[in-house]
Amino acid sequence: MGLYFKYFKIHFKSELQYKLSFMMSFISQFFVFFGYYFTIICLFDKFSNIKGFTLYEVLLTFGIIQFGFSFCETFFRGIDQFDDLIVAGNFDKLLLRPRNILLQVFCEQVSFIKLSRLLQSIIVLVIAIINIDVIWNIEKIITLIFMIISSIFIFLSILIITAAYCFYTIKGLEVRNVLTYGCREMAQYPIGIFKKGFVMFFTLIVPFGFINYYPLLFILGKETNKLFIICPLITLLYLIPSIIIFYKGMEKYSSVGS
Amino acid sequence: MSFIEVKHIKKTFKVPIKSDGKFGALKTFFNRKYNYIKAISDISFSIKKGEIVGYIGPNGAGKSTTIKILSGILVPDSGNVVIDKMTPWIDRKKYVSKIGVVFGQRSQLWWDIPAIDSFNLLKDIYKLEDSEYQKTLNELIELLNLKDIINIPVRQLSLGNRMKCEIAASLIHRPKILFLDEPTIGLDAVSKKIVREFIKKINKQNKVTVILTTHDMADIEALAKRIILIGKGQLLYDGSLTKLKRKYDYLRKITVITKDKVKLENDCVVEQNTIDDGIEFIIDIRKIEINEFIKLISSKISISDIDIDSGNIDELIVKLYEDFKI
Repeated sequence: MGLYFKYFKIHFKSELQYKLSFMMSFISQFFVFFGYYFTIICLFDKFSNIKGFTLYEVLLTFGIIQFGFSFCETFFRGIDQFDDLIVAGNFDKLLLRPRNILLQVFCEQVSFIKLSRLLQSIIVLVIAIINIDVIWNIEKIITLIFMIISSIFIFLSILIITAAYCFYTIKGLEVRNVLTYGCREMAQYPIGIFKKGFVMFFTLIVPFGFINYYPLLFILGKETNKLFIICPLITLLYLIPSIIIFYKGMEKYSSVGS
Repeated sequence: MSFIEVKHIKKTFKVPIKSDGKFGALKTFFNRKYNYIKAISDISFSIKKGEIVGYIGPNGAGKSTTIKILSGILVPDSGNVVIDKMTPWIDRKKYVSKIGVVFGQRSQLWWDIPAIDSFNLLKDIYKLEDSEYQKTLNELIELLNLKDIINIPVRQLSLGNRMKCEIAASLIHRPKILFLDEPTIGLDAVSKKIVREFIKKINKQNKVTVILTTHDMADIEALAKRIILIGKGQLLYDGSLTKLKRKYDYLRKITVITKDKVKLENDCVVEQNTIDDGIEFIIDIRKIEINEFIKLISSKISISDIDIDSGNIDELIVKLYEDFKI
């Protein structure tokens, strides 16, 4: 952790070298991704609910998924852009240092521009929490916090797996985008609105269901079983196989010639 | 057991073959065929502590691959490497804290910030003590004369100054072994000299073992008493540079300034060219001694000046490569 903050400081210093460019990108990113939320608002302008979920309930899941995703994109940019690291041969550099490889990959890049997306998702989350038709109590707040934490971890796990994929192919293919962006697009909605097959997929294979669907039911009072509070934490287990896959892939790594 | 012991290492790379034509990319995707490229086929050597070894060979000979294996980045297909009682790719964390690596074509400094910030971060990466780090840093600053350049963002530095910072960065944790992969590539004569002298100095003072690859034979001449020559993944020569010279450096270019004309019919003359104000001979000193040749030539013409060129080491290497057919 200490090392990460040291790296963070360095990245911040580098970013300050280009202040104007940073400000411009920050603002433009903010507006570009505002489009996402705009679509939803338009949708609900026409229909008052989707399969029983109201606007603010959808915005809540939307915000949680966006938060987790942009958190990883901002602070763990190195693993997101892992194929660049491999192709440019800079991965060798990490192997030459007496530290944990995965930690070094996380440290490798921080994308301050993506902070604008993170900020945006926080705003949406706050709006949703205020306006949603829920009486908040301790249990529900804890559930919400668990949801947000596990949203970060699930994207982290997916990014690690897709990064491991680069070891086998050198250049990350579209597969990774299907997993990251594809899943994110779907998981932004409470998955209950989809067909059975999707629900099963997002519960068993990529466990988004445990982040934004089952606990949501508890928050909305549609389920009362206390297990639903801690079910987001199941996704933490997802991290273990993904780390194992990463290190298995590393054994396969044959560095690019120079 | 030597400090560095390399035994029968082999490494083959698997490279996918790309099909041409209309649906070439698609074909490669479904029906992948591979080329197996032998980067290293059986190399063994050992190096003593405190040696400077020049590791040379033409492009694609397997130099970088060997360096990568020795530094623990790559794992050989077979064979064994023991360095300072460790196997690089198994004891990675412990091992890499004892070595420094400079890749001439890659940077380990952060581009947008001054080198000193990079050094400070490296201090944390290698978990160095404050006092120890400060001592090493001051030493490096003094030896490499970094005082004025250390606070300028790296991207604004000249290549020579950047390379000085790179080398300093690789030595900040006081490694026992230094790997240099083409450290003088693209540098001007002055910077080259500084880098060479510095390498010599740290080798002497700190007993750092140095392994360097280069295409610049002047590097080798200035630094390495011992060279290891490889080609096509095989070890071709391992020994002193002087011995190699004796064996391959047998041609001398003798330029004679004269107004006379002569044609020497002697098998010791490999080549004879007429130049503006005289004649140029290339002779084989295995067949005739220099003083014999001068006697011979002065008996035939009057000489106003004479110059004997002992052939440069680049030509020697070309001959060597030709000889080994690499």
